[in-house]
Amino acid sequence: MIARRLIRVCTLGLIVIPGLQVVLADNNIQPAWSDAAIHNHIELNDYSGELSKEKLDSLVRAGQSLFSASFTSADGVGRPMATQAIIPTKRKRPPRSEFARTAGLDANACVSCHHQPIAGGAGDFTANVFVSEGFQLSDFDSTDPQFSNERNTNHLFGAGLVELLAREMTTDLQQIRKDALLEARSKQETVKKVMASKGVTFGEILAHPDGRIDTRNIKGVDHDLIVKPFSQKGVMTSLRQFTVNALNHHHGMQATERFGARWTGTDDHDEDSTLAEMTAGDVSALVAYQATLKVPSGKQLTPEWLAASKRGSELFDQLSCNSCHMRTLPLDSLTFTDPGPFDAAGTLRQGESGKPAIYDLAHYLSTLERNEQGQWLVPLFGDLKRHVIADSQVSQLGNELLSQRFVERNEFMTAELWGVGSTAPYGHRGDITTLTEVIAAHGGDARSARDQYIELNESQRSDINAFLKSLVIEP
Amino acid sequence: MKRILLVAVMLTTLPCLAVSEMAGDVPLYQEQAIAAGIEHQYDGPWENFVGGGVATFDCNGDRLPEVFIAGGANESALYINRSEPAGKLSFVRDESMVTRIKQVNGAYPINLDNDEWIDLIVLRLGQNILLKGRGDCQFTQANASFEFDGGAAWSTAFAASFYGEDKYPTLAIGNYVDRSAPGSPWGTCSDNMLYRPQVSNNGKVTYSEAFALSPGHCALSILFTDWNRSGIDSLRVTNDRQYHRGGEEQLWKVADQYPRLYSRADGWQSLVIWGMGIAEGDLNADGFPEYALTSMGDTKLQAVDVQQAVEENRPAYEDIAFDRGATAHRPYIGEDLKPSTGWHAEFSDVNNDTLLDLFITKGNVERMKDFAAFDPDNLLLGMHDGRFSEQGDTAGIALDTRGRGAVVADFNVDGLQDLLVVNRSAPVSLFRHMGFKSEYGPRVGGNWLGIELNQKGGNRHAVGARLSIKTGNVVQTRRVSVGGGHASGKLGFIHAGLGVAERATVRVQWPDGEWSAAYRVFANQFVVITRGDEQVSYWYPPEPDSK
Repeated sequence: MIARRLIRVCTLGLIVIPGLQVVLADNNIQPAWSDAAIHNHIELNDYSGELSKEKLDSLVRAGQSLFSASFTSADGVGRPMATQAIIPTKRKRPPRSEFARTAGLDANACVSCHHQPIAGGAGDFTANVFVSEGFQLSDFDSTDPQFSNERNTNHLFGAGLVELLAREMTTDLQQIRKDALLEARSKQETVKKVMASKGVTFGEILAHPDGRIDTRNIKGVDHDLIVKPFSQKGVMTSLRQFTVNALNHHHGMQATERFGARWTGTDDHDEDSTLAEMTAGDVSALVAYQATLKVPSGKQLTPEWLAASKRGSELFDQLSCNSCHMRTLPLDSLTFTDPGPFDAAGTLRQGESGKPAIYDLAHYLSTLERNEQGQWLVPLFGDLKRHVIADSQVSQLGNELLSQRFVERNEFMTAELWGVGSTAPYGHRGDITTLTEVIAAHGGDARSARDQYIELNESQRSDINAFLKSLVIEP
Repeated sequence: MKRILLVAVMLTTLPCLAVSEMAGDVPLYQEQAIAAGIEHQYDGPWENFVGGGVATFDCNGDRLPEVFIAGGANESALYINRSEPAGKLSFVRDESMVTRIKQVNGAYPINLDNDEWIDLIVLRLGQNILLKGRGDCQFTQANASFEFDGGAAWSTAFAASFYGEDKYPTLAIGNYVDRSAPGSPWGTCSDNMLYRPQVSNNGKVTYSEAFALSPGHCALSILFTDWNRSGIDSLRVTNDRQYHRGGEEQLWKVADQYPRLYSRADGWQSLVIWGMGIAEGDLNADGFPEYALTSMGDTKLQAVDVQQAVEENRPAYEDIAFDRGATAHRPYIGEDLKPSTGWHAEFSDVNNDTLLDLFITKGNVERMKDFAAFDPDNLLLGMHDGRFSEQGDTAGIALDTRGRGAVVADFNVDGLQDLLVVNRSAPVSLFRHMGFKSEYGPRVGGNWLGIELNQKGGNRHAVGARLSIKTGNVVQTRRVSVGGGHASGKLGFIHAGLGVAERATVRVQWPDGEWSAAYRVFANQFVVITRGDEQVSYWYPPEPDSK
């Protein structure tokens, strides 16, 4: 807030010298013909508490506008003295060129990568990004795999449901830990508990009577038991966190909630002379847009394709593909709260601003079926769990050299298959052109299913293709 | 022309780009001592003008820190921590006679015999007392079993270190004025004492032999410190010029059989202050500690000259307090322009932004008219430019009390550092950290870690270990240390703020110099690192209904 006040003072006192790039992004007075892509920044307080459908529509529209906007230097594009790192990190000297495929800036707009088959979708190999830790010296920004991992762009359809599922799973897992500790303290003996939520198991913990938890046998989730459903690696907690990361990485648009004076000591961390480039309200709008993107649906099929798809669907289960690519996960509530409950400092959290925005995703995602318990069945074909996906014989998907955020290099989040028919190429690097090839590349935990798939005859593999290609994002 | 334009725009915009002095989080503290069940006062005559310490440590195995508070002429008191995790602070006074001792100036926790329980050394006006922990916060006086004489001096300072392959600590006790010497109190300072562990054939440790660190210059705080990153501690002593004559600050080389002072020839630079308290912290994470030395008047902030330290083994220092805005030389609020009187100093990251902050207790000695009467405690928050910003008033700790000893500790295990301040002739202040100032009331702050170290064999709590905590490109260091402050010490979770980092890589340099492999830990957790284990354990406090 202090920073924003300063900006207003500065706005009044600014002497405009033509041709100079001293830009104040937070002004709400940009004319339509200006160089800036953002003409109105969103005020967080305008969207707090329970949002009506109309209010949510307004926020989503604002988010859609930001998602498709081609940001410019007038908005704050560029970070000459900051790296792409998630933790605000200064460069020692500016890069020779601001735009670079390696460390970013590598895009002008969110939609420039997330566009396949429509806005919010996935990206081709050309839209790959390079994930590194954000070195201080741009000299180390390199496509060399010892310095960065190359990743393909995921689609975002149904992302609000994915985040809600992850939140409920996190709550379940943390409750198991709590119960285990209570029991261990009560019985004064070590207690073992299986970690499971929504039919997905995450290994087990040992709870000791002194309050310690042995996490060695936890599988597929971080030891803080926060299910992080986003990114190929499954290391991002929320759409909000991912949005703040991506804005900085890809555009050099720095969100105040992480790169502002509170955490960096300066209002202009990246030293591009633009302040308050992305307000908390702007981020909220982007979150609302992504959270309300529709659920990928089944394709209208010809009778022949439908028959093949049905056979493929049965084979999918027979091969136990569905043990990880679970057809549905049950969700208790469609109420989305932003900020969410499990983010850490640097991503806006509940209690850091006024009331969070609360909205009902049912306004946008009403096509979901419900089970007998009244839970919404989210047809994501995933388990929101990380698995080892490469082994010594089948190693193609273990082709990275760097672990990321403590997750080993051969371990990735189960790819959600909803929309898979619309989002080739495949694999986390986007370097596999067909479904057949990517299934054959499954090693590690998926090796058995993959081997059975290889043993199928051509017709059966075609049926599986027919099934998977029916899972599309309709334009 | 371009250059002219650039200058023009810089002139017009730079003042705007500069952020107000403290842009980061300011903690909000609320004084809750009485509500939390702590009703205690340090008091007494001249001998109790100094002292007034507190020790915090866990004595019942629940990992919540208890507090043992000196009383001076009043009885000391042990308060058992019954706080609700992340909630209300609550303490229950232990009524057993063994912890109710008169003429106590201060106390420090230390594990003397490597059993499961932390022991206490109680500094007194008269015989010092070793209290052996027996679990469930039961103690027994153990001077006899440790063959510890305890002396008869006016003890005000303590520090402990483990030398070589010693399984047991070397103890140093700082003594103040020798009241029995002719001419007392002027120029009559007692020697400080060094006790090395004596281990018998059956493995029993005793402290029967005392080595006098002479001359003493009326010490008010001592600290074992590895000033040159050699792995071998020296003993830093801060002395009160009010009483010594010809004395100065001291640094003892104690690793050898016969300790000796670092001299001018060794590079030691004379410094004469009203030395009250010492704290060390590694502000720039270079492995070399910076020191805060409290005094009457300005606080010193000393940085070691690394080149001289490493290449020539010379303990030369530069005072950086002025440059860093840490002199804290007079009250920061009120109209009193007289010099301040500093006592306890402690570095900690109270706003979890990865930058060390400095807490200093303040308080007039006793109606000294040349010094400020209203002298609030300082909360100097570290900023990204390396300077400190005084935020004691905003934080709510600027009370009209005369602070002495203190501890910065997380009493309700919520990742936020609370404060306990022992005041002279006034009730103890217990400041609960409520969160951070915002227009919406207290809000959540930066990420954090609490780290407990354990090792088998000797030195169970790894006193002397170093921690390297890496988040992104930022490295912080911490050192497990018992000593310093003003008559106050602690053992327990080592706190580190992580700012916006969600993860940290932690390496431990164990006291024998061996580095651990890197431990990967998640933020906002308490972790227990046991030497040799491949992974940390996470620790969670009991739920309110399970206590």
